[in-house]
Amino acid sequence: MSKYLNLAVTIFLPFFFLGTAIAQSEPLRNTIDQEIKGAWIKEKIAIPDRSTDSVFLRRVYLDLIGMIPNYGEVTAFLMDTDPKKREKLVDNLLADPRFARNQAQLWDLNLLGRNPQNIGTSRNREAFQKWLAIQFKNNEPYDRIVHKVLIASEEDSHLFYAQFNGSADDTTTTVMRVFLGTQLQCAKCHDHPFDIWTQRDFYGMTSFFVRTVVVEISGSNNDKKYVVGEKSTGDVNFTISSKDAKPGAKKGGDPVKPKFLGGADLIEPELPKNFLEPKLKPKEIPPKPIFSRREKIVEWITAKENPYLARAAVNRIWAQFMGRGFVHPVDDFNPNNQPNLAELLKKMEIGFINSKFDIKWLIREIVNSSAYQVTEISPVADALPKFYERARVRPLAVEELMASLHVATGLGVESALKSVPSKDMLKYLGEPTDGQGTFQGSLSEHLFFHNGDTLRSVCQPRKGNLAENLLTSTDTWNAKIDRMFLSALSRMPTDMERDRFLSYLNPKEKELVDKKLPSQRLEEALWVLFSCSEFRFNR
Amino acid sequence: MAINFESVNCNRQQHLSRRSLLKSTLVTTSGMVVANWGALFHSQTIAAQAKQTGKRCIMLYMEGGASQIDTFDMKPGRPTAGPFRPIKTNVNGIEICEYLPKMAQHADKLAIIRSMKTKSVDHGIGGYHMHTCYPSSERFPHAEIGAMIAKYCENSNNDLPSFIKMGSPGCTAGSGYLGPQYEPFTLDTDGKLPSFANPSVPQEVQDRRGELLKFMEDQHAKNHFARPFSSHREAELRTVRLMRARKTFDVANDWGKARERYGNSPFGRGCFTALKLVEAGVPFVEIGQDGYDSHNDNFPVHKANMGVLDPAWSSLLQDLQDRGLLQDTLVVWTSEFGRTPAINAQAGRDHFGRAWTIVLAGGGIKGGQHYGSSNRDGFEVEDKPVDEGSYFATIYKALGINPRAKHYLGVRPIWATPEGSKPIQELIG
Repeated sequence: MSKYLNLAVTIFLPFFFLGTAIAQSEPLRNTIDQEIKGAWIKEKIAIPDRSTDSVFLRRVYLDLIGMIPNYGEVTAFLMDTDPKKREKLVDNLLADPRFARNQAQLWDLNLLGRNPQNIGTSRNREAFQKWLAIQFKNNEPYDRIVHKVLIASEEDSHLFYAQFNGSADDTTTTVMRVFLGTQLQCAKCHDHPFDIWTQRDFYGMTSFFVRTVVVEISGSNNDKKYVVGEKSTGDVNFTISSKDAKPGAKKGGDPVKPKFLGGADLIEPELPKNFLEPKLKPKEIPPKPIFSRREKIVEWITAKENPYLARAAVNRIWAQFMGRGFVHPVDDFNPNNQPNLAELLKKMEIGFINSKFDIKWLIREIVNSSAYQVTEISPVADALPKFYERARVRPLAVEELMASLHVATGLGVESALKSVPSKDMLKYLGEPTDGQGTFQGSLSEHLFFHNGDTLRSVCQPRKGNLAENLLTSTDTWNAKIDRMFLSALSRMPTDMERDRFLSYLNPKEKELVDKKLPSQRLEEALWVLFSCSEFRFNR
Repeated sequence: MAINFESVNCNRQQHLSRRSLLKSTLVTTSGMVVANWGALFHSQTIAAQAKQTGKRCIMLYMEGGASQIDTFDMKPGRPTAGPFRPIKTNVNGIEICEYLPKMAQHADKLAIIRSMKTKSVDHGIGGYHMHTCYPSSERFPHAEIGAMIAKYCENSNNDLPSFIKMGSPGCTAGSGYLGPQYEPFTLDTDGKLPSFANPSVPQEVQDRRGELLKFMEDQHAKNHFARPFSSHREAELRTVRLMRARKTFDVANDWGKARERYGNSPFGRGCFTALKLVEAGVPFVEIGQDGYDSHNDNFPVHKANMGVLDPAWSSLLQDLQDRGLLQDTLVVWTSEFGRTPAINAQAGRDHFGRAWTIVLAGGGIKGGQHYGSSNRDGFEVEDKPVDEGSYFATIYKALGINPRAKHYLGVRPIWATPEGSKPIQELIG
């Protein structure tokens, strides 16, 4: 065992520079702010203002727990005079069970995408999300989570492999992209045009996964259970010498030895003479392999010395909160796509390794930085400004939208947690960006909001909801309008807005003749607050 | 600039097209982003206007895989022939299946490619490949042909969506790397608007709440300049315009008369709706006809399907011609793949990509010809094999789109068709 571990260490030697990092005395948030401020000065960018309390509040709620604050939380935070209230709020939210759930949803999407191939939907995905949530709740170190996902021995942890339907090519490219931030798939058919990877690298890496099998052990279409195992035999055949290597040609080539990306070949024991791979019945899990290639690559991927793992993680988590990774897109480190603010990335990477891959620590430092807390008001048009001089603008994920509607209309957090986006919502609001984080409005989204039942039903007065409370309350119209804005947009209305809504909700001359009017108008006004851009996006 | 959200009834002054909006934008904003709807438009939209080609495309997609031997590449007298007989058409030398008698009168419009040789011969991957020109195994967010044509052929003055689908979806890749603005707008199978496109509240309510929404958006636009906001507002405006133009989708009145010719089927009604849509300027409409996957009982299945297909397709071509639209409207008849020449033990034919048939007609295509051929029994391509790339390149070329149009996803380039894809010049008129 230790022999292979040593090997894993030695093959990183060319890249070995991180281990010498000195312990940081300075909190990372300060480092972030110094570096970002340095960039602003260098780029002659005016120092932006800090976000207002209500903007920060909504932003950090959405980013940390995936839903907006409720009316009570908004008013309490806005009234709080403690100068440390932002920091305290961050601590509270990081300790909230919704933090783990939100992280799980994000990583479920990172690992599987919105519409993964080959696996049923809903229920087995729910089980996988719950398994992920446990990891984040326990604040498992990031490298341990990666290890668990890739070893896939825990119950409900198998879905990552199940999506590949046994394709070692797909497994390899996804593992490399998601966890190491490098794009290997081009090297499947030809040496990578803008990266250092060759076809030998590609097939060398796929050889680690070629023996992995996913066995469907039970369940129906939407509730399949999988187990991940590994055979003792099986190779990727590929010939590089052939003049015109055909894409993916596996026939006729020679077995490719497993080779660590950019490093040495794996040294593996010979199979016992006359070894025969046991014949498996359907649904039968293969016995433990004589030698596990997959364990070796997982050790390599999650080794502290691996130069790609922490870098890719820090970049991804940074982008999760700041919109744009140092490398953008987040999973495309390559020689032609050099990181922006490379110094900061390096420092964060070292900090993350020194923290023993503590995700919560990293997130706490990022959201407590002034860089994260900048204003959203600026003439800059970019959705994701390169130097972070304006807060990034992102559409709410469909899950966030659904949960936030529940919170805003007073249905409560419990109800928000149970809310599951309908098939239609997933279809029309599930993927609002172009895959690079750039939002593009679609017709169907608006039609769905204008005419569909989802939004209408939460705006109608129902027992105990916001609309009903407002109708039965004896508050003044002004107070009611304040409450509507605080509930939906986490802020007070401007004077102009209050006047406009007042005349909409309380048209005096008509009130006398039509008793239904206040209820109707209220429903319409709420519809407006939930349909407007300010609700659709974070702040 | 009196635009209300959701204002469906409006007089001519209020009914502003995008062009007039643009004009007033250019006058009023003089480069400054100000708090009016002018903030919606940026240079990309203006560039989009310059590149419209005026070409359109209707794709008839035979979901499941239509049999070439039982339609356009018959093998009379051979063991693979099956029971159907060829009939003469209005072009000497072109014979097609006896169950396509109406189409036989339009053979002069058809370019019949009998030498399709494609790689992805299962439904999911075949549907993907024949819609995006790339294999799904690349795991890249490729764009469907409809999104590509929408991007390059859309008329931005038009109130209607530019990529419309109805019927059985052969592919769900959507707009991929081209982004949500080119996502397909999906109608019900028979071409009717989905229920959520119908207003759920009375006009009066739509108008007044639309005004309040506009007020909120105007307030927000005063100091929020990030592009996603304007994209969101622009889509909202397009939605309002679509709601105004909803009548285009309502073919009920004309359908009464057309029904006899097109056949009283959802597919027939879909084809008729497609005619109305391209007439109204929609650049791409796909209509799926499902049920071709005849592993069992291939012949009754195909006979029944052709009974639906023949009147619908032929009437569509006739009406396009009568309205002077055919020269600018390419009509494509395709599948994810063809079917085996060999007939299996269940009297079925299975999936087959080695030598099958696609038919092109209209816009930019030289009709009345065969292109390529399969061998005697139809097992292999005999002459001029056509792969996915050349097929797509031919369509793009016919529509005035550069087949090698280059786009980027991040830093990675992606082309409309893969390297080496060449349009088939003989097919382009």
